[in-house]
Amino acid sequence: MTGGSTSSPRRAARAPYVFLTPFFVTFLVFGLYPIIRSIVLSFFITYGPRSQTFVGLGNFAFMLGDPDFWIAVRNTAVFAAASLLIQLPLSLALALALNRRRLAGRGTLRLAYFSPRLVGMVFVGVIFRLLFEGRGLLTTVSHALFGTDLNSSMLDSPSFVMPALVLTSLWLYVGFNMIYFLAALQAVDETLYEAALVDGANAWQRFLHVTLPGIKHVTVFVVVLSTIGSFQLFELPYLLLGNGPGAGKAGLTVVMYLYQSGFISGDLGFASAIGWTLVAAVMVLALVQMRLSGTLRKEA
Amino acid sequence: MQPQTANRPSRPAAGRVASLREAAGEWFPFGLAPLLILAMTVAAGAYLLLHPAGRGRADLRMWTFANTHWDAYRKAAGQFARDANARVAVELVHTTAVTSRLRAAFWTGKNIPDLAEVEITWAGTFFTGPVEQIGFVDLRPYLVRDGLLDKIVSARLAPYTHRGRIFGVPHDVHPVMLAYRRDLFARYGIDANELTTWEEFIAAGRRVTVARGGSGDVYMINLAATASHSFEVFLFQRGGGYFNAAGEVIIDDDLAVDTLKWYTRLLAGPNRIAADPGMDGPGWVNSVQDGLCLTFICPDWKARMTELQVPALSGRMGLMPLPAFSPGGRRTSTWGGTMIGITAPCRDKDLAWRWLKQIYLDPAAAGKLMESTGILPSYREAWRLPQVSRPVAYWGGQRILADYARLADTVPAEHTSPYSELVKGQVGTAIANAVAYYRRRGEAGFDRFVRRELSALAAGVRDKQRRNPF
Repeated sequence: MTGGSTSSPRRAARAPYVFLTPFFVTFLVFGLYPIIRSIVLSFFITYGPRSQTFVGLGNFAFMLGDPDFWIAVRNTAVFAAASLLIQLPLSLALALALNRRRLAGRGTLRLAYFSPRLVGMVFVGVIFRLLFEGRGLLTTVSHALFGTDLNSSMLDSPSFVMPALVLTSLWLYVGFNMIYFLAALQAVDETLYEAALVDGANAWQRFLHVTLPGIKHVTVFVVVLSTIGSFQLFELPYLLLGNGPGAGKAGLTVVMYLYQSGFISGDLGFASAIGWTLVAAVMVLALVQMRLSGTLRKEA
Repeated sequence: MQPQTANRPSRPAAGRVASLREAAGEWFPFGLAPLLILAMTVAAGAYLLLHPAGRGRADLRMWTFANTHWDAYRKAAGQFARDANARVAVELVHTTAVTSRLRAAFWTGKNIPDLAEVEITWAGTFFTGPVEQIGFVDLRPYLVRDGLLDKIVSARLAPYTHRGRIFGVPHDVHPVMLAYRRDLFARYGIDANELTTWEEFIAAGRRVTVARGGSGDVYMINLAATASHSFEVFLFQRGGGYFNAAGEVIIDDDLAVDTLKWYTRLLAGPNRIAADPGMDGPGWVNSVQDGLCLTFICPDWKARMTELQVPALSGRMGLMPLPAFSPGGRRTSTWGGTMIGITAPCRDKDLAWRWLKQIYLDPAAAGKLMESTGILPSYREAWRLPQVSRPVAYWGGQRILADYARLADTVPAEHTSPYSELVKGQVGTAIANAVAYYRRRGEAGFDRFVRRELSALAAGVRDKQRRNPF
């Protein structure tokens, strides 16, 4: 009854191409062209899109010699490590807790833990900024517990900027990653647990030898995704630290360094060089993670 | 029975849809839904092409980022429509977005307003690149032609002057005074009139802060420990700056080093008299209200902000000139600023200039803006308006605009650069590092540390300047 059914076979054969055309046109214009253009740009010093001077690998050399770049790399790496070592174990622990069948209010708790992700990064950034303000909620608690300065924003202390970013990201992402683990846990074969129980395995042994291997693929996926996400960190420090790198540049991330170079200093060429360096670094890290986990071998 | 009854009226409609499908299928073989989507896409695209964003039927488009300006300019636009028979569309763009949107507009040549207001920190970023590609028009010929150049505070033209061209007319002067709690000064036996030098101010501060055992419940002044905005007030007051008129970075000169050391000692160490509860937001409001800090740096824009955000202190606040660094020295500085510029692609620059004069360089209009914003205009003629001498009850009946006007001609020049924002951010870091060092080690090696910090900062900026061929 559709138009397609009344058309000639030749027309019908063209149909898939017509439907795919919008995607390909969009991809060529907004995906492939910027990718190729940014590779070319990375060999130029630019001011905006119209003024450029060829510098070969000069942008990469300057970047590697710029102390700010290394501060950004260090901050980003610290955040990524914190994401992997704190956030993911917490997500897994939460998923294990909320996977128990007898837990009352399981659905409500799952929603509650996942809900921070629904409110959006901007909202979270603004709210946490207020909490860290002088005499804000967290500042008051910290003052009561550790005797820190009540009147200054905690974000004004260079040593607290990174912990603040990690804390905020925990609130935002622990519940989100929990969903992946929860889905993986529900896919683990129940009979394996029963067999392990019959063999006399205790809870820790069952976790180590049944649960972990059972959720390995999802874990690798979450680890790679979290690593990539951590290296792309921008919005959270940008919002939390008031559009800048924060006290002592403790919140300067690689993408913020890229943004400042490209969109404040106007050097899109240098920003492209930073972007491609980031792509290379993330690819290497992802490959190393997949290799270490054995995922690559299995795929091969 | 019921389903039949319910279906009956829909039969003709279903028939119509089916026949529509068949008709559409004859020349568009992929179905009715894709056809509708395509039709909507084409219609929306055509609408957007035929109605470019923003301009509408306006003769001029202007961007501003301040709510108070937006209100005042929209009112002025009504008058302008009658006087010049021209419509002005005044668009409010968020402070953070205005610079990035304007930069993107200049780069792409699309959706460029005819006039735009830009905040002083960001102004320099628009003056980089080849001169012929700068997005703003040189306004010097207009200012000279209309005899206005000498009527604007010259120090305020400096931030918007680059390579000999004036790309923006300053909206304001932003002279700085010190806001203080009259009631608390009286309680602690401090006479504001006697604090004519920073030495006297610090001595009074120590009497209050140190004599109370450094209990942390009262400080003499609110200063930023990790950002540059209050540090630069002192640096400018002493005649220093981030850049000189030639755009060279001078943040590592002896004056800057000495100022940073002096500033750090206010914030840290045994003689600390300053706290950092923030310069805005709840932390700042609480600090003023609770009397945590007896004074804070207060340009004219902050005076109005204080009135609005801390209304409970009406009648209990006062404003005094900044103490000088040496007897008889400069008693003010400057903090913040806004320029207006006419963009290069503006089609009717004379009309844009006429509008600019109406809102910035006309005493009556400037007076109205001054009433709504509490900001002293850079156009001197406006300082003679009656509203300048009006007493303000909030400030204990003090004629604060007249006080600001008395200081306005002595405000120091602030030279900007495309790297201003970068340097300000890095100076904030240097302050944080200096404060942390001084807390840890005091005077031992402090001079060397500060010199090293500022030298490294300046060297980094010089590297960036050197490799920029534009």
